[in-house]
Amino acid sequence: MATSEKKSLTGFFWAWGIITAVGVVLSIWLPQRYMPEAMSNDAHLTMTTMILFSICAAPVAAGVYAGALHILRNYRYRGEGVPPAAEQIREHTKLLVTWLTASAILTVFVLVWGLGALASENSNTSSNPLVVDVTGQQWIWSFSYPGSHVQSNELYLPENREVEFRVTSEDVTHGFWVVNMGVQVDANPGTITTIHTTPDKLGVFEVRCEQFCGLNHAFMDAVGYVVTPQKFTSWLAAQPQQS
Amino acid sequence: MDRSKSLGVALASVLIGGGVLAVAGFALASSTPHQTALHCVESSTAAHTCNLQLSTFPDSLEGVHGKNGGPHPDWVTYSNDNIVVPANTTIDVTIDQYDTGGSLNNPFFDRVYGTIGGNYTVNGKTYSHWNANDVGHTFTLRGIPGNGKTLFVSVPLPYNHGSKFPVKIGVGVYPKPVVVQFSFKTGGKAVYEWNCEFPCGGSREGQGFGEAMSSFGYMSGTMTVE
Repeated sequence: MATSEKKSLTGFFWAWGIITAVGVVLSIWLPQRYMPEAMSNDAHLTMTTMILFSICAAPVAAGVYAGALHILRNYRYRGEGVPPAAEQIREHTKLLVTWLTASAILTVFVLVWGLGALASENSNTSSNPLVVDVTGQQWIWSFSYPGSHVQSNELYLPENREVEFRVTSEDVTHGFWVVNMGVQVDANPGTITTIHTTPDKLGVFEVRCEQFCGLNHAFMDAVGYVVTPQKFTSWLAAQPQQS
Repeated sequence: MDRSKSLGVALASVLIGGGVLAVAGFALASSTPHQTALHCVESSTAAHTCNLQLSTFPDSLEGVHGKNGGPHPDWVTYSNDNIVVPANTTIDVTIDQYDTGGSLNNPFFDRVYGTIGGNYTVNGKTYSHWNANDVGHTFTLRGIPGNGKTLFVSVPLPYNHGSKFPVKIGVGVYPKPVVVQFSFKTGGKAVYEWNCEFPCGGSREGQGFGEAMSSFGYMSGTMTVE
């Protein structure tokens, strides 16, 4: 390898390292700064997965950007007219093996992690979850708590107890999306779809519809609260009983 | 074409394209068919209280859809869609219900929510809920996502089974109205959305949420607290 080429490759590796470092910092900082606050085990897992995948993607993206910069800087054609054909590189075993090995490791890692995260989200850990029947209707959510005859347009959940949402629709397809819980599932008419999560942070959250469902779809949201188990029991007792 | 000229052409294309999109957006936004605002009328008998009068009709001949009922004279409608009320005030609402009805899709809406006392009156008698199979419309008011307001008021408007003495309003003839009255309190300044939750709008996949229920200015609107 000629000295000038080594010199220019040094620039490439510097650019790759710097862009990777910036990518890693952004991967950690941006989700925590701009994503909704994680309030359940699933939301924490989703956030961790997103950060981890972004970190894995950072060197790949940086390699593309650094490569593009390297080529633009060193191999730009400055002559007149159509540039002559470039030298064909038929084989570069070291590069090929490195590239394929790194890609395979990254791909297998994100696949295994993703399947594990999915299995974890789909599993229920409690034998006695709080069951909440979720009903979507143009253009409002209502929540009922089986066994209590309570129905509400606000979603109250106790902290640190697994919740089983049984989601359905009275009319068209809606999308039950509890933003801060990392829970998202379609609400289909005539079908009950079940999804679990465990709220682990006290506070206020938002329930939205994420399937376009008609004129007032944009207004189809509900307010939710994660409260202590004692407050949840008090709230439940204070609600009017539905017939 | 030299480089600076082609750059200028590209820039001009972007600016002209952006301008066309902006004009189209403003034109669409300003053409949203909001009616003239209905202001709550200050009560002469109680402090910090105002009266709001609404009606629900089986057609659009009455209300504010223009001469002959506008483009869809056979669609059900509320009398107004754009309501303006003062902040931190008790709103006494009267709704004259002239329409027929049937069964709610979701019995959640057979109950009264968010009113003072948790109930309402129908033709002068007090109730906290109504038979879910005997409802004409609902008046359901809630916060708009993101505005941080959680006001929620919902009342079922009973089925009007007709009367021996119909009333004539404008060019329409309707049964004597079922008179629904309730009160709620407003908080600070905000914009809320209200709509009907009874399937009264013609078929949309057989669920009654098409036509008047899927068009601005008929069975939904905004309430501005100012």
